[in-house]
Amino acid sequence: MWVAFALGGIAAVLIGLANGSMRRLVIGGGVALAVAYFAFPMFAADGFVSRDTVSPTLFGLAPTHPALALVLLAALVGVAAARLPPRIGGSLVALGALVTAGLTWSAQAGSPQLVHLLPLPGLMEALTGLALAAALTLLGWGSRRLRIPMLVIGVAAGVLAFGFLGGPAGHRLFPNADGYYRLTTPVGESVQTAIVAEYNANLDTINAQRTRIGLHTLPPIESVKNLDTERLPEAASSKGYRMLRPAKSRYGVWVAMLLAGVLLGSGAMLAWRPRLHGSGDLAGGILYAAVLLSLAPAFASTEFSFAKLAEGWPFLMKFLDRAWPPLWADPSYGQFGIFPLQEVASQMLITLEIALVGTFLGALFAVPLSFLAARNLTQGNALMRVVFAVTRGLFNLDRGVDTLILALIFVAAVGLGPFAGVLAMAIHSIADLGKLYSESIENVDRGPIEALEAVGASGSNVVRWSILPQVSPLFLGWTLYRFEINFRVSIVLGLVGAGGIGFFIQDKMSSGRYDQMIIAILAIVIVVNIIDFASSWLRSRLV
Amino acid sequence: MIEVANLHKVFPDGTKALQDVSVSIPDGDFVAVIGLSGAGKSTFLRCLNRLVDPTGGTIAVGGSDVATLRGRALQRYRRTVGFIFQQFNLVTRLSVLDNVLSGRLGYHPTWRGMLALYSDRDYELAQAAIREVGLAGRENTRVDQLSGGQQQRVAIARAMTQEPDLILADEPMASLDPRLSDVILGLLKQYNEARGVTVLVNIHVIELAKRYARRVIAFNQGRIVFDGPVSELDHDLESTIYAGSLETL
Repeated sequence: MWVAFALGGIAAVLIGLANGSMRRLVIGGGVALAVAYFAFPMFAADGFVSRDTVSPTLFGLAPTHPALALVLLAALVGVAAARLPPRIGGSLVALGALVTAGLTWSAQAGSPQLVHLLPLPGLMEALTGLALAAALTLLGWGSRRLRIPMLVIGVAAGVLAFGFLGGPAGHRLFPNADGYYRLTTPVGESVQTAIVAEYNANLDTINAQRTRIGLHTLPPIESVKNLDTERLPEAASSKGYRMLRPAKSRYGVWVAMLLAGVLLGSGAMLAWRPRLHGSGDLAGGILYAAVLLSLAPAFASTEFSFAKLAEGWPFLMKFLDRAWPPLWADPSYGQFGIFPLQEVASQMLITLEIALVGTFLGALFAVPLSFLAARNLTQGNALMRVVFAVTRGLFNLDRGVDTLILALIFVAAVGLGPFAGVLAMAIHSIADLGKLYSESIENVDRGPIEALEAVGASGSNVVRWSILPQVSPLFLGWTLYRFEINFRVSIVLGLVGAGGIGFFIQDKMSSGRYDQMIIAILAIVIVVNIIDFASSWLRSRLV
Repeated sequence: MIEVANLHKVFPDGTKALQDVSVSIPDGDFVAVIGLSGAGKSTFLRCLNRLVDPTGGTIAVGGSDVATLRGRALQRYRRTVGFIFQQFNLVTRLSVLDNVLSGRLGYHPTWRGMLALYSDRDYELAQAAIREVGLAGRENTRVDQLSGGQQQRVAIARAMTQEPDLILADEPMASLDPRLSDVILGLLKQYNEARGVTVLVNIHVIELAKRYARRVIAFNQGRIVFDGPVSELDHDLESTIYAGSLETL
């Protein structure tokens, strides 16, 4: 926790010493802290089972920890620093940062306590509606003509989304959203006594179960303080009571401390050197805040952890140890011997062939379709415009479904093996190549088209004699480019059972034959580089 | 005989490119169309072969109105009109012969064109035109290997291969070295005199117009401000033709 505080402070001071704008950091830190105050989880509050656990925000903790409201004040001072004289603003921000760090630390060091959850119904629904309205409005804001219509559409969509999510249909689809945001409120003496009594009443049943599975029995408790490591009784949990355990901190604590460090460092630097500010500090600060606000939850969600990496390091070493030297071939193994290098060679060939056939089939269908998806060839009449829209729509739909996902579906339909992979690759390539081809057609030189119209050539002959000669080298280039990508895709196709070297890797990995798998990895590195090099050399000679 | 009556062209953005243009051009004439950039010269030429659709008026060619032709009939009319562009508009990745032969596409059914099934006569016409513009022996050269002057000569050969009744040339020398102007205009003049084919050339260099044309049509802001033999062009008239140049440019 203090590591984050120190990191933030040091980073801010270093940026300040490099003459970076401190006011920008102060604003960014303030905005981020204000959002984190309302949105980032701080501590765990446990109930009966693990899914009862909720993680209140600083705002959610306000009823039980009133002093934490000062954190919001500190954040707002940071935002207000945009308008304050640098020396005064900087000093206030530094002071606020110290208060934030102190309060966060003392709340985190506090002992477990019993709280009651007070849901704020409709809050998440309203926020979703607001976000939708804001996004749609911003989309049209740049154009004078679209500004008002998009504002109206945005507000209407926001209200509709709020109504839908807040209604019974929305609660059925997203049960978690109902009363998702909760405040923690203090619990009176009498309720505490009742929960202690309930716990003790259930103790006989629980201890009987514990004895049966060989665990020691639990003693009766005298106050809720004794529940600091035990779970709450089921009935209390379902009534909304939780044990708030500040020691089980969430990423919000880390973010608050980091921001306190940044605000302390940048506020102090700003007070010391008031000239450290620039134009566009408000926009820049909001950008900093947006980056931090999206990264912090993302790191938390993806469970990023150096500790786990350190734990896993010996396994990595052991893997390399077992993978080297590679087992190229062992004729004396078993009855027939094993020949991994030979198998890698033939599987690599199949992988290459999947990419060849997939790309060829994709191109075969993409060429004619791309002419229907080229805007400049389809403006003749209403029917052609519909054809254009439909073709483009299909391309976009198809491009959205990755080859690997298509392969999973085709494996289910036509069975394991390279055929499923080829089908998936061809279908995905049609859309991808079709889009690239049609964009090439849209960019052709209009002059020759006009010239052939002027000699009285028919529409198809104009395409044949002025567009085709212009786009054919471009088509070839895109096809080669797609082939490069398809080859890399076909390597992983084997992982879903659609044939090729990926299957070999999966097989050897799961049976622990790392000394055979390493051959496939080496082969992939070599062949991918050869193909990329050859393809880009060919493409450079096409023009 | 081309008879243009009350021709109007208003572009969708409201620009009045041609206003009430009436002119009659006898067969075999060599006409220079002069005027400032944006005076309507180019729109006028493009209306004559319907690369631009006029918004009003008639264009009678050989007695029938071509201003409203559509589809196949328009293609049949266009094959009799050679058009030479300022930017040549050749397919540079194809050979000289392929480009020149494409002048015959209007004379064959679509499927024959798609398969490049040109007749022996098409090849003879194409070879003759290539010889006439002085590119004999370069038939199989790719057009992007040629100089700008040679490319424009390929474009002229393509127009000649159409066996046209009318040749329209829209600033054919504007993107070439000035010394090549005489080559290009000389070729058109020679073709006009040898075959009696009507030629209309847009020129912005008035000296060239005086040297080659028999007749001059001058445009200013979409209207014809002068129409007569070259000899009648004097200094006063020229300043009328180029009036308002500084404001409009």
